[in-house]
Amino acid sequence: MEIKPLIAGFEPQERPEGGEGEKPAVYDVIVLGAGPAGLTAAIYTGRARLKTLVIAGPLPGGEPSNTDLVENYPGFPEGIAGMDLAQRFQSQAERFGAEVVFDEATAVDFSQQPFTVQTYSTTYKGRTVIIATGAEPRRLGVPGEDKFFGRGVSTCATCDGFFYKDKRVVVVGGGDSAIAEGLFLTKFASEVIVVHRRNQLRATKILQERAFANPKMRFVWDSVVEEILGDETVTGVRVRNVKTGETSVIETDGVFVYIGMVPKTELFVGQLELDKQGYVVADRHQRTNVPGVFVAGDVQDPNYRQIVIAAGTGAVAAMEAERFLDEYWQTPHEEAGPS
Amino acid sequence: MALLDNDVRQQVVEFLKDLAGPVRLVMFTQEFECEYCAETRQLVEELGELSDLVSVEVYDFQADKEKAEELGIDKIPAIAVIGKEDYGVRFYGIPSGYEFTSLLHAIRTVAAGEPELSEEGKKFLSEIDRPVHIQVFVTPTCPYCPHAVTLAHQMAIASPHVRADMVEAMEFPHLAVKYQVMGVPRTVINETVHLEGAAPEPMVLDKVREALQGTEG
Repeated sequence: MEIKPLIAGFEPQERPEGGEGEKPAVYDVIVLGAGPAGLTAAIYTGRARLKTLVIAGPLPGGEPSNTDLVENYPGFPEGIAGMDLAQRFQSQAERFGAEVVFDEATAVDFSQQPFTVQTYSTTYKGRTVIIATGAEPRRLGVPGEDKFFGRGVSTCATCDGFFYKDKRVVVVGGGDSAIAEGLFLTKFASEVIVVHRRNQLRATKILQERAFANPKMRFVWDSVVEEILGDETVTGVRVRNVKTGETSVIETDGVFVYIGMVPKTELFVGQLELDKQGYVVADRHQRTNVPGVFVAGDVQDPNYRQIVIAAGTGAVAAMEAERFLDEYWQTPHEEAGPS
Repeated sequence: MALLDNDVRQQVVEFLKDLAGPVRLVMFTQEFECEYCAETRQLVEELGELSDLVSVEVYDFQADKEKAEELGIDKIPAIAVIGKEDYGVRFYGIPSGYEFTSLLHAIRTVAAGEPELSEEGKKFLSEIDRPVHIQVFVTPTCPYCPHAVTLAHQMAIASPHVRADMVEAMEFPHLAVKYQVMGVPRTVINETVHLEGAAPEPMVLDKVREALQGTEG
């Protein structure tokens, strides 16, 4: 297999003019997350000449870097590898001056200006924050899952598909991710068994057509996984038919879980308004309930989770951040800035 | 055909322009080059052209056995990233895909000889007095993996007793089997302790502690 050398998710050694590697005391915009939403926001704020910091978090590139092939992002008629697309987002943001750091926010304080973002390595201050932390795969929450996570249970087919060469895998879920990644796994696995709780797929029709036409794919309908079985390695899953209540065991070497996402908002509990499912509540202008804090992408979107929409909301958040800063500078206020 | 296209070359030049000191990429291959040996050699050779401070040495794993032993190289393709001293930073298998980022990181930190770790982390690692071997299993298509590899390499730089390897699982399937690698990144410390996923520094340090306790007495 051919794999292109890629550069992703590290800090360019660029020094701001006049300062020997010094960071600005206060950024105009701090973006949390380096997926399509965060990096699009950074492209816009960079071009607005706002001093922009992107704190990449644990998955630079965001969800696309977890995706084999992206076929629904406009401008790439042949499709584009997810990691390639993620890399292009980042290059474009850096080209316009955004600083991307490979670090992760561990605490935030939105109670006073400038806002504070604590990371593993240091503390940053910003007059606006754009939250684009995204969402992470939902876990099954069944016995055996924790025990085998990372060694038989996975949520990253691009990472781990190789280990299932000529083996049998179970994919749990019926949406786009489940079917697209299931199809990707057929490149390696001898058989891909899709376990879905309904009797039809939710995935886009074109993916369904490919899945039904693929001789390596098999479907177990109306069923949920109740347990992941095995001593040293995964040997099977116990599934229950939700209509008949019958349980049975499917033999498998691995389980890939694609049953939706949960927003990554633990850091913001008590500081921002979140909905019942934990998503950040935003208005049409991507504003949160805290003036100066904006939000974009999957972390505020329980419904669509598309790259093109994440990018779109990132652009809105950036334009609103710019507007906020314009007004901020026009209003008398106590300057807590560079000391 | 070049492995590094013009865009990537430009980014590499930019990234390597402020290297703190010279770095040697010591690469091991063999006469009948293994799968990915030729590509790995080409990759480091192309890299070497992009910075005056990065030099490339290519050895034959069989013919230059002594050199391989001196650097503790036990499989190929292998790259030792060496600065003022040999900190024990190694890549086994091709550092391509996302792992190319890990290689650039390694070059930069080895050049500086100064790990980018927390003060507590550096203090703990500097006090280690027994060997620690960290192996991080990866695949080139794993976006989470460079984080784990880079962290392990930083730890190697922080202590003369710590050595850290990136191991590309697809090229060393027997090791993937031996260490039960079914997902990446998987970090194996001193053969005994393991960790799944790209964990933050404090969690990896706890695992190093655990591995050291295992070797006591």
